[in-house]
Amino acid sequence: MKTSLYISALAVSLSLCSGCSDFLDRESDQIIPTEDVFNDPKMIQSALANFYGRQDWCQRITEDELYKQLDEVCKSDGGPDNTQNFDFINDDNKDHNNKWRVYDYVLIRNINEFLESLRASTVLDATAKAEVEGQARFLRAWTYFNTVRTIGGMPIVGDKVFDYEVGMDISSIQLPRATEAEVYDYIIKECADIAPMLSDKATVNAGRANKWAALSLKARAALYAGSLAKYNNLMSSPITTPGGEVGIPAEKAQGYYQIALATAQEIITTGPYKLRTSNPDRARNFYEAVCVKDNNEEVIWARDYKYPGQTHGFTTRNIPGELREEIDASCMTPVLNLVEAYEYANDRDGELRLKDGKGEYIGYDNVLDVFGNKDARLGGTVMLPGSTFRGKTVNFQAGRKYLENGEWKDQIGALGEKDAKGNIITALNGPIETNDQNVNKTGFAFRKFMDETIGSGTRGRGSEMWFVRFRFAETLLVAAEAAMELGQTPEALGYINQVRERAGIQRLTTISLDDIVNENRVEFAFEDHRLPDLRRWRLAHKVWDGVVGASASHYVLFPFVVNQPGHPLDGKWVFDKKLCRMSTYPRYFKLQNYYGFIKQEWIDKNPKLVKNPYQ
Amino acid sequence: MKLKYSIYALFAVLVLLTGCGLDNVDAPASKLMGKITYGGAPIGVRGSGEAIRLQAYQDGYELHNSFDIFVAQDGTFEATVFDGVYKVVCRDNNGPWLNSRDTLTVNVSGTTACEYPVTPYYMIENETIALSGNTLNASCLVKKIVGDKPIERVMLLLSKTSFVDDVSQIARKDWEKPEVGTLNLSMDVSGSQSENALFARIGVKIEGVGDALYSTIVRLK
Repeated sequence: MKTSLYISALAVSLSLCSGCSDFLDRESDQIIPTEDVFNDPKMIQSALANFYGRQDWCQRITEDELYKQLDEVCKSDGGPDNTQNFDFINDDNKDHNNKWRVYDYVLIRNINEFLESLRASTVLDATAKAEVEGQARFLRAWTYFNTVRTIGGMPIVGDKVFDYEVGMDISSIQLPRATEAEVYDYIIKECADIAPMLSDKATVNAGRANKWAALSLKARAALYAGSLAKYNNLMSSPITTPGGEVGIPAEKAQGYYQIALATAQEIITTGPYKLRTSNPDRARNFYEAVCVKDNNEEVIWARDYKYPGQTHGFTTRNIPGELREEIDASCMTPVLNLVEAYEYANDRDGELRLKDGKGEYIGYDNVLDVFGNKDARLGGTVMLPGSTFRGKTVNFQAGRKYLENGEWKDQIGALGEKDAKGNIITALNGPIETNDQNVNKTGFAFRKFMDETIGSGTRGRGSEMWFVRFRFAETLLVAAEAAMELGQTPEALGYINQVRERAGIQRLTTISLDDIVNENRVEFAFEDHRLPDLRRWRLAHKVWDGVVGASASHYVLFPFVVNQPGHPLDGKWVFDKKLCRMSTYPRYFKLQNYYGFIKQEWIDKNPKLVKNPYQ
Repeated sequence: MKLKYSIYALFAVLVLLTGCGLDNVDAPASKLMGKITYGGAPIGVRGSGEAIRLQAYQDGYELHNSFDIFVAQDGTFEATVFDGVYKVVCRDNNGPWLNSRDTLTVNVSGTTACEYPVTPYYMIENETIALSGNTLNASCLVKKIVGDKPIERVMLLLSKTSFVDDVSQIARKDWEKPEVGTLNLSMDVSGSQSENALFARIGVKIEGVGDALYSTIVRLK
């Protein structure tokens, strides 16, 4: 017995000993050596794809928070949202994932390492190599752009890849902050340099950056820099640092606007993109222009998603309750403020006509009539009460109204409740004013970025809807704004009126910044334009002034059916405009919120970083 | 054999027990107290939302990170710290005063009181706030101290707790761009009469300055 034990023990130890030699010597199946990557064109593309996937900042459809905090939508998935101010932009404790403060020097280093190896690689021909290098440098410029627009001028590393050896003077690789203007200049120059290296054809699903994406970034960066130079210096106390890390001198505005206009004109005259106008249903046409990938004529660069593997839950979370495919629904719902920002076709004031001069309700036969004659983009951006989605009518009805002692009273039922005759009291979708989870709270739902594919609202599959970063309408509005600032009114009107005509609203004959502000707001709702725009025009602290009122408070629209037989309004739709219960406080943007704070952790690692204003 | 184990166990317990006394430092017990003043008079600020802060630094360490001292609505502040020399400075462009950012050096030993002098753009003086029926009447003298920044708005604020500012309030009335000098303000508060307690104060928002200046708080009932 004992002998056999010894023998087996010997056998085990022998096998272990002989196993040792190549067990520790084998090649890793997790780490791919640099030379392998850059000897294979497909591997190079994979490394590049990794950089595309790491561009997740600011407002985007995978992150609810970044919508609710502005004046486009409110929280709807439970109890009220107690956000009081925009300090989450600055605060270390409230901005865990750096959603609004982009400081990704790991990514910039990785791109620089990639560029160094790519340039030494021999596996690609010159054109293909230039194409890959151009894309990597575009992504680097886009990273810097997101950095400078959220926290101001930060160190420009260039193409350098720093190495640290024990004993070296660390301060030689700690770079001081560049000025805000220098970073914008760097982005503009990079985009100008790489544009000829990139393809001038539209790419599949706009997923890859091409020449026009580089030029779009150049135009947008120049426009941001120009408006910062102009409007920061018009403030009663401009926001600056002594070293110019924040604050662009006013005299530079003109030059930036000229670059923005010239670049936008280059895209307009020589690019393959145009405004989509082929569908005569203008609202549908607008939705297709932004949200349908097949034969898209307008989108220049987008974050594309594809099943399996690359999907997101935007449709799952925000679909109206009646159409849901999971337990999730209505996590965020658009507020009335956005809806009223859309003009009427022949009236610049978009306020809905809810009551007559005597304060009595105006009755509408059809619930959609109240939005009649509105800017067509409204229907393409927001799901209105009575509109259709996936072939079904989306019904929003808060309750019914009846008269009691000459006063209108509300009859509110449970969700989906009907009276004895089968008439709806409160619709299955809401809206409601309680804390119930996943029920609509405003009377509206998202349409833009909502996926019509069946199954895209499930958790398992998710949605393939892209998130648009650059599209042709922006090029036109960049040109309009830059031309307006340069005093070229006829050109400015020509550009902005193309966008307005597509939306079915009247042409402008004069143009001011207010027109540009509202045009951008309604055209690019939910597309990461609102907050950066209000910041660069230095309007955010005026619009979101913390005072209960039309610009800072969220409002909702509750549709009711009148149930008062014999009354002239009986059976008609009437609407209540109310303060949004979900958004407890008016939005309050302080001067310190124009630039995020420099994290102490970054300063500890690089003491040359100076702090931002108000910090 | 057993004895040996008991000795080991005893030794381990002893190590643990003595360890307790050795690696712990007493919690800080000294107090750094003070107030923000102009000519000896305290300055009222917003006390909620961590709005107004001072930064305190202590020299002699590798990393130079400040800690925040939050200022209460009556302009006082308090921090519990270790004895030592602290440098106190207000945050950049924080508070309704000139952004001079003078450093105040405080040698804390036990409870130490200090004053952080600032130069406000305006001062609110002679404020009287009183309830008369359903109307809240207030008057005050807004005096320009320094600079040429105009007043953006004056706020009359009512709260049901002793915390009163532009956010912590139940009723508020604004007057845009008032003249500097004596102001007479009144607001209808019939909607708030059912509250058990009412407090009020006047706020002055200055253009281009993030934080408003406030008067003292008056308890109405």
